[in-house]
Amino acid sequence: MSDKLKQIINKQGEQQSTDTLDQSDDIVQLVGFIIGEEEYAVPILAIQEIIKPFSWTRVPQVPPYVLGVFNLRGSVIPLIDLRVQFGLPAKNHNEETRFFVLKQGDEVAGFVIDRLTAAIRIKKANIGPAPDTISGDDTMIDGVGKQEDRIITILKVDKLLERDF
Amino acid sequence: MDEFQEILQDFLVESFELVEKLDEDLVELENNPEDLELLNGIFRVAHTVKGASSFLNFDVLTHLTHHMEDVLNKARHGELLITPDIMDVVLESIDLMKALLNIIRDTSADAGIDVSECVVKLDKISGGEGNVETPVASAPVEEPVEEEVIAAPVDEDEPDYDNMDPDELEAEIEKLLNQRQEEDRAKREEKVAAGETVLAAPEIQEEKAPEAVEPTPEPVAPVSTPVPVTPTPPPAPQKTAPQGDAKAAAPTKRAPAAVEQTIRVDVKRLDHLMNLIGELVLAKNRLIKINDDVEERYEGEEFLEELNQVVSIVSLVTTDLQIAVMKTRMLPIGKVFNKFPRMIRDLTRELNKKIELEIEGEDTELDKSIVEEIGDPLVHIIRNSCDHGVETPDIRLAAGKPETGTISLKAYNEGNQIVIQIDDDGKGLDVNMLKNKALEKGLISEKEADTMSDKEAFSLIMRPGFSTAAAVTNVSGRGVGMDVVKTNIEKVNGIIDIESEVGKGSSMKLKIPLTLAIIQALLVGVQEEHYAIPLASVLETVRISKDEIYTVEGRSVMRLREDVLSLVHIGDIFEVERILDASEHAYVVVLGLGTQKIGLIVDTLVGQEEIVIKSLGDYLKGIEGVAGATIRGDGGVTLIVDVVALMDMARKVKSTVLVEANANVAQITLEKTKASDYKIMIVDDSKTDRMIMRKALEPMGVTLIEASDGQEALNILKSGEHHFDAMLVDIEMPRMDGYSLATEIKKYNKYKALPLIAVTSRTGKSDRMRGVESGMVEYITKPYSADYLASVVQRNAKIKSEFL
Repeated sequence: MSDKLKQIINKQGEQQSTDTLDQSDDIVQLVGFIIGEEEYAVPILAIQEIIKPFSWTRVPQVPPYVLGVFNLRGSVIPLIDLRVQFGLPAKNHNEETRFFVLKQGDEVAGFVIDRLTAAIRIKKANIGPAPDTISGDDTMIDGVGKQEDRIITILKVDKLLERDF
Repeated sequence: MDEFQEILQDFLVESFELVEKLDEDLVELENNPEDLELLNGIFRVAHTVKGASSFLNFDVLTHLTHHMEDVLNKARHGELLITPDIMDVVLESIDLMKALLNIIRDTSADAGIDVSECVVKLDKISGGEGNVETPVASAPVEEPVEEEVIAAPVDEDEPDYDNMDPDELEAEIEKLLNQRQEEDRAKREEKVAAGETVLAAPEIQEEKAPEAVEPTPEPVAPVSTPVPVTPTPPPAPQKTAPQGDAKAAAPTKRAPAAVEQTIRVDVKRLDHLMNLIGELVLAKNRLIKINDDVEERYEGEEFLEELNQVVSIVSLVTTDLQIAVMKTRMLPIGKVFNKFPRMIRDLTRELNKKIELEIEGEDTELDKSIVEEIGDPLVHIIRNSCDHGVETPDIRLAAGKPETGTISLKAYNEGNQIVIQIDDDGKGLDVNMLKNKALEKGLISEKEADTMSDKEAFSLIMRPGFSTAAAVTNVSGRGVGMDVVKTNIEKVNGIIDIESEVGKGSSMKLKIPLTLAIIQALLVGVQEEHYAIPLASVLETVRISKDEIYTVEGRSVMRLREDVLSLVHIGDIFEVERILDASEHAYVVVLGLGTQKIGLIVDTLVGQEEIVIKSLGDYLKGIEGVAGATIRGDGGVTLIVDVVALMDMARKVKSTVLVEANANVAQITLEKTKASDYKIMIVDDSKTDRMIMRKALEPMGVTLIEASDGQEALNILKSGEHHFDAMLVDIEMPRMDGYSLATEIKKYNKYKALPLIAVTSRTGKSDRMRGVESGMVEYITKPYSADYLASVVQRNAKIKSEFL
């Protein structure tokens, strides 16, 4: 009897593991946000946390999009204004402004975004490559996700966290 | 572990680290053959390895690195371009160096690798003939021998040495020795049989005999002559060994049996502990801040007493804890000093000089990481003193000095610092000679040489590429050593102070902070920003009036007692947007680093605080003038000033201390040419009230901007779009009331002079008091006449009557 039981359990286990594999293979989980008029997204796993804005300290000799550094529970973390980095004029922070704390490896940085949209589950098949004109190693764009009524630009986390000055 | 082994270990650890980085750098160099910084770095590695290996008598390694160094030195001076072919040879020599280091690690000797071919190639590159003599490898010594000696008695039933009489003891020793020799011989035969040649083997015996008997082995004389010596009968030295010593020696071999008073702890754990303490210090600072706030708000309440007690206990314990943990990481500096007597002995022989080394304060303790950093600089300083400082005996006698020169090495505590002082009674530094040399090498300009103080001239010896030696010797003269000193000492936030008198000698003081992670800092303010300056670099602070600032050749200077101090405004260094502040006075923080001094002008002095240094992370690393950041009691981040970089930056920044102030005055007075240049903000939540005020002020022709509550007013103000001359503020408003608004505004330096006029129906005396406290200058009660309002505004905004 126990042999039979084992077999069944094994079978179930196999099924489950293939199931989850399928899922993670097919679906990409992203968090969407707005900067200016456009909707962007980053992989949910790269996000350490999303917090309401608070005060930061200016740092000299950096490009205008680096606002400075802030204290995140004892760590000193750089703060980058994505509006300015994307060439839009700076805007005062309002009720909807958030700090996005992204992490990859040891690199951590906070990014100011205009507004959060939603957590997005999108099929891999629905993600196209970045347009030819802006693809290449230098682009921040990882791909373009298509959902029913909208187009979402997916950003490369490592490029966002890369210092380019 | 005996002394030699200890030094050897240090040498190996360091060398492997250096070599690891070297590979990377060299490849990079091939791509940028012109990169002087890189070349200097690579050259320093070769130099350091050479220095240490020659002192440890690894002649093959020294031989190899010496030639490497020659090639690199040529490249560094631009006499040689690194081509791929040359790089091949250099890389080959690095591989050989690595192989040698590996062998040294395994056998404590650098035998078994033939470097001659590579050396010849190197020599050819550097312009030599290619015929160089190859030193014979030193014999494998120490380690294997020592291990066996210790192991031997264990094999037997551990004879009781304590109760033996001298004869028995001697017999026992002889027996053990013979046994060892038998084993050694057998091993050698094995090795020979295996095709290995064991050079200078007999020395092993000679070496081992005193090893086994002497209790305090003298800085174990490893085979110092690379030439094989004729075998000497081993029993001889052992017979002469004093018996008393032998008796004492025996028990020490069994010492581990005693109760352990110490435990070994992984350094990582201590580092982690130190980090945690850092967090605790931050929390403590925060607690103190909150305590102050609470005290202010609930003055006279009973529970305050209790809170105060708790806070002071916590802060006391935190400080003690911090010191205690710091102490666990402390090592006596003797660990570094130990290797110098030996080094001096070898150097005196090499240089044919007579030098005595005096060591003091070897018990002084320093943080482990710092002890590791100062080893190299001290080696270079002492080599320098021997080579350039102390004269040869005949010159000394002729100058009326004792034949033997003295170098003294002292370490002592001074406040929060450790001072390591190296004095010699040699010929001293000749200021003019230094200046001439520096001019010759193009390190300074003619003009700089003229204006240079003696101290600044002394510090020339730290510049890379500077050397006064006429010839490059095995000991020094390449002009890297002191550069290493400067780099390493600055890395640990230390400062170097040189004093010298021609003919009498020189004295060098290294002032090094006790620990790296937590420091005392002076907090200063400029506009609404704060910066932390490491207190170790602050010599003093002075309050001066602006008239005391003079301009010389476009630079601001002030007179500080008998010196002229050049000044730089912290705002110019950190790109702080400066709005004219009318104050007559400025604070000058006098910063000292080594022999340099500079005055840093700041707006305010906030106070002294204990800060924990945090890195800015990879994204923001390398910002000039910023050494890191710290988290303050209020949770905000404050940047820490990098005093070394600041000194450099100050030279480049064109000072605007006075010029800008004048320009600002002009700008502001010029601006107002008509009534509409004046801007008044009206802050009131009631539209009707705003209307009434507008009606009263419009006839004056001034520009009016409205805000419906404190928050909105603050945002308008902060946006910087308008420059207001006065604000009319209602007290009772939603979101942010008038008092809070006034308090917020007055936090900003640039708005200190902005007149705030309260317009309210609150007429109580206490309301008026609060108004004054929060920074209001006038208090208008509703209802009011339009004329009255207009006149108050005119007076406060200083609107000139001709515009009305």
